[in-house]
Amino acid sequence: MANEPAQEYIQVTYKKPRPYRWAAGEYLSRLYRECRDNKRLMTVKCQHCNEHVWPPSKVCGRCKKPSGDNWVVVSDKGSVVQFTYTNFPMFDPHVGKYMTEEHPFATIDLDDCEIYWVAKLEEKDKDKLKPGMRVQAVWREEGRGGGLDHDILYFRTIEE
Amino acid sequence: MAERVGIVAVAQTKYQPNRDEVNAGELVWETIEPVMKEAGVRFTNDDGDGDIESIVTCSQDFWDGMTISSMGVMSFTGGHHATEDKIAEDSLNALFAAYAQILSGHFDMVLVSTHTKESMGDRSIIESAAFDPVMMRPLGLDFFIAAALQARRYMDKYGVTAEQFAKVAVKNRGNGMKNPVAQEPMNITVEDVLKSKMLVDPIHQLDTKPISDGSIAMILAREEKAKKLTNKPIWITGVSNCYETHYLGDRDLAECDALVTAARRAYKMAGITLPAKEIDIAEIADEYSYQELLWMEGLGLCGRGEAGRLIDAGVTQIGGKLPVNTSGGMLSGNPNVVAGMARVAESVLQLRGEAGERQVPGASVALAHGTTGACGAHQCVMTLSNK
Ligand SMILES: [Zn+2]
Repeated sequence: MANEPAQEYIQVTYKKPRPYRWAAGEYLSRLYRECRDNKRLMTVKCQHCNEHVWPPSKVCGRCKKPSGDNWVVVSDKGSVVQFTYTNFPMFDPHVGKYMTEEHPFATIDLDDCEIYWVAKLEEKDKDKLKPGMRVQAVWREEGRGGGLDHDILYFRTIEE
Repeated sequence: MAERVGIVAVAQTKYQPNRDEVNAGELVWETIEPVMKEAGVRFTNDDGDGDIESIVTCSQDFWDGMTISSMGVMSFTGGHHATEDKIAEDSLNALFAAYAQILSGHFDMVLVSTHTKESMGDRSIIESAAFDPVMMRPLGLDFFIAAALQARRYMDKYGVTAEQFAKVAVKNRGNGMKNPVAQEPMNITVEDVLKSKMLVDPIHQLDTKPISDGSIAMILAREEKAKKLTNKPIWITGVSNCYETHYLGDRDLAECDALVTAARRAYKMAGITLPAKEIDIAEIADEYSYQELLWMEGLGLCGRGEAGRLIDAGVTQIGGKLPVNTSGGMLSGNPNVVAGMARVAESVLQLRGEAGERQVPGASVALAHGTTGACGAHQCVMTLSNK
């Protein structure tokens, strides 16, 4: 009937978070310590295929064998492969709030290795974003050790 | 007779709490590397060269705190560019899936890997999320509280006692003393159990398992291959699972109809008609001590309400007529999800004659049981033989 009130549908909601502590483990802990203490990226070169294993892992997924212990420093400079930007706020699970400052996301081909890394760009002017642009990590002054996105703020455009 | 599927290699971690030094992948690798070595097999590479044709992993998203909980272990299980499936139930069902994959004719050899780090999350909050969010979750119910309701109903309906539950805890934690991978083996008395803190009436602290982290890996192979890889293959002779019902209010919690059905089907496959006589050892999910007794009845190892008398008579201890949980059971410490494969790991060791101090002489037929959800909502039963 046209005049009947709309049916009311009930939604049940919960606010309580579900707390976890995830172990980074042996290999990622080393990377995170290097980020926090020395502001540098490190990973292992696989003893079988000689490629960088990223993120660092005890086993090389490609070779299906132990990666070994050949730790090397990885450049924090690279070239943007592709990028995108959001028109809505992103959720930061570390603080349980929406981010107030939005940055474009990009895949960055780090120099001198086979690592593609998804990170944020400092540059917000979309007219200035283009594939191939050169960028470098901007490190948080006081490292926190809670993962890369804690210790690298974003990648900044550089002139070379 | 259909072709058979054998378990050719088994490895389990020592069960421990708070493995904060390893991530899930590294925990899994502790068992993957040994089974690959034991069987002398390789992962399959991109050219198709290798032995393992399919990977079945078993973990649960809420315990791991991530959707696609298999993701973090894939590099460690040879999952890169490989056939892979994940089972999110008790891991006995992962073995069931791998077994079916081989019988389907698609694969000759399957790797099965399970892990859980219970210490990462909050047990009660995770279990509470298993209840539907609209009706039952607002109660704040978790599996522990649901189990206590079941234990109380079982006591009232069949006259089983708190002392009999305590005897299960004493037996299993005592068996754990003889199992090098047990987490919390204990030399305790019935009095110790009954004097331990009452957590949720009628379940005391020592009537329940500790929070535990661990992983297990196994390799399953078609009969012909299995015989080439080991001189001690352990055959899966029967397996089935059965779902009960979600709403606890739909059930008389002293009954376990789904388990009765799963067991009947598994026994039929295995040609077992008198389970109590034909089965030499049984590994039964005992997250709470009362469950070993209730599930024994559901598994047809005795009549309804009789399991209490069997524990009184010592029938289920090592040296008794039907030893149950020679491993020490979940009460000695196994993580959820991993628990079902822990039952099979012990069965395999017993049937190979490799169970050390806790070996049951001449054990030839084993029963492994695993359950998922509150009060045995989903039940899985497997029979194994060394012949
Ligand atoms: Zn490699």
